Amino acid sequence: MACPPERRIMYLLSRPKAQAMYNASPKVSVIVPFYNEQDSIAPLYEAIVRALQPLQIGFEMMFVDDGSKDQTLARANQIAQRDSRVRVVKFRRNCGQTAAMAAGIEYASAEILVTMDGDLQNDPADIPMFLDAIDSGYDIVVGWRHQRQDKLISRKIPSRIANWLIGKVTGVPIKDNGCSLKAFRASVIKPIPLYSEMHRFIPAMASIAAPRIAEVRVRHHARRFGQSKYGLSRIYKVLLDLLVIKTLASFAARPLLWFGLLAAPLLLCGTVLLGYTLLSFALNGTPLSLPLAGCGIIFVASAFMLLCSGALGELVYNLGDMRDHEFARLTQRLRTRIVPVETKAQ
Amino acid sequence: MTELGSMTEHGSMTEHNTGIRISVIIPVGQRHSDIRELYADYRAGLDALRTPYEFVFVLDGPHPDVMSGLDALVDSEQSNIKVIALNRPFGESTAIMTGFERSAGDVIVTLPAYHQIDAAEIGKLVTMLEVNDVVVGWRWPRAGGALERMRRTIFHGSVARVTGMRLHDLGCGARAMKRIVLQELQLYGDQHRLLAVLADRQGFRVAEVEVRQSDRDRFEGIHRPREYAHFALDVFTVFFLVRFTKKPLRFFGMLGATMFGLGAALVLYLIIERAFFGQSLADRPALILSALVVVLGLQLFALGLLAELIIFTHARHIKDYQGAQIIQYPQAGLPAATLETRSEKTAAR
Repeated sequence: MACPPERRIMYLLSRPKAQAMYNASPKVSVIVPFYNEQDSIAPLYEAIVRALQPLQIGFEMMFVDDGSKDQTLARANQIAQRDSRVRVVKFRRNCGQTAAMAAGIEYASAEILVTMDGDLQNDPADIPMFLDAIDSGYDIVVGWRHQRQDKLISRKIPSRIANWLIGKVTGVPIKDNGCSLKAFRASVIKPIPLYSEMHRFIPAMASIAAPRIAEVRVRHHARRFGQSKYGLSRIYKVLLDLLVIKTLASFAARPLLWFGLLAAPLLLCGTVLLGYTLLSFALNGTPLSLPLAGCGIIFVASAFMLLCSGALGELVYNLGDMRDHEFARLTQRLRTRIVPVETKAQ
Repeated sequence: MTELGSMTEHGSMTEHNTGIRISVIIPVGQRHSDIRELYADYRAGLDALRTPYEFVFVLDGPHPDVMSGLDALVDSEQSNIKVIALNRPFGESTAIMTGFERSAGDVIVTLPAYHQIDAAEIGKLVTMLEVNDVVVGWRWPRAGGALERMRRTIFHGSVARVTGMRLHDLGCGARAMKRIVLQELQLYGDQHRLLAVLADRQGFRVAEVEVRQSDRDRFEGIHRPREYAHFALDVFTVFFLVRFTKKPLRFFGMLGATMFGLGAALVLYLIIERAFFGQSLADRPALILSALVVVLGLQLFALGLLAELIIFTHARHIKDYQGAQIIQYPQAGLPAATLETRSEKTAAR
């Protein structure tokens, strides 16, 4: 992978040498992004340990401190000092929940990754259910907050609409995209690019690789500490993000086609307008209508510009490092029969 | 030929100077004062710090007068000087990065090639690095006419609006920063002026500190229109870089949707007039306008999608969380028995 050398070095440096001396290969990583959640972190840690200890499996916890301004980092450190299964990822500044999740996913070392909110609204006691679902063959398991403890008007109704829309557009009908409690097969989720504000769309983004997705009902608690960090203003952003994910998931490998589809109606309109004015001029001798012909020319020219953008897109994709077959490989199922080559005895 | 010789010789010499803590990078562009005088001035300021330092002069394009002055300095002075001569003017950001590549100190100080700040204030910039990653100078109190003051207020006001950072003097060439800052930022184009903003965006602690303006830093006349265009472009760059680098469709989509909406409204108006008021449609120039605006909106939207494709195909290298640290205590072992017994209790229940 063509990675700028200085970044590769940073990455190497940022991994402690003794990273996995203890707990050599945990089976489950629980990834929790924290942003100003100083009161939640200790109870959450205890709840996770309570939930996973009885399972008798190796597990680790990735606490991602997203540039908190309160005591979150200090308390996470205290916990890590007592428990080697806890790793703390420290951000220099607030990068947002997507980046926190992405960092947790990148640095986690287990084969099953569980993400959850740091605000105690998810219950770690549900995690074993998720692990069972992964074990039974699913690649992604998403939680569904069955009895959601949030405000109706500002939270529940917009989220209902958003979930319906996301399901329709992406073709991944999930009842509750906003629930952070999810489990992923690490091999499937790690290569999926997560950036910008995609944490709400991880299953949708992952649909590039067409994973097997299951939903399980989870408990949901009302917020105990701290402030909610969301508002209503995100609708415009959600719509645009959705559009981006849809186009990327379905067309990224064929930009020319995608721009061609945009250009087609314009080309059609333009040709019809131009043809109509020219024909009526030629056949009926009516004076050439400048505005109509002008519109036609504009449409045709714009269609050509779009096609050229598509060609530019092909160039971009060609030089980039995303390839569809890599995504296809993530979830492929293989069935082979190997016939030994018979060497004919002479 | 002699220039090249002295340069390589010097480059190899400084490899041994491991004790250097501060590297002072001076990009020499069009505007420069007498270099020997400037050097003596800065040197006095740096000596007060009592820390080993080096000077890295970067000649941005051929400046024979400066070169000869620097040659004389290199020959006569008993201190660390590197001189890098670039074959054409590459711009200040590139000059700084070139100097940075050859620098040895943990602390990088950039200083302008003319008397802009009082050299005695350099120490202040460096000492402020104890609690910050980047310290930029702010010439205060500042000389200048009313028009110039107004320009500065508008410029810094709009930068503050966009970034939420109240900066006062982006034009000040005196800055101090830790080495890692330039390692991560990789300045290009005209980004040297926006260093504080970009560093802040990367999560570095940035401070602005008041420095005394040099008596000789007087601004002659007014800026040319070209400079104003630069200022406006700076603000736009910041606007785009800070808000939309990772989500370009939000920017292009906003513009595109507005255009498209305007055009569609105009088309609708024309159609209503045609349908209900008998106004003819085909011979109205407004039709062309509406078509143009609609198409422009569409094109902008398409550009946004293209930009998203660029981000997507490079997503594996673009990380918001550059410089994230992982903290783990492998020797910590498992926590004391309290937790385990408690968990056994809950399991037994």
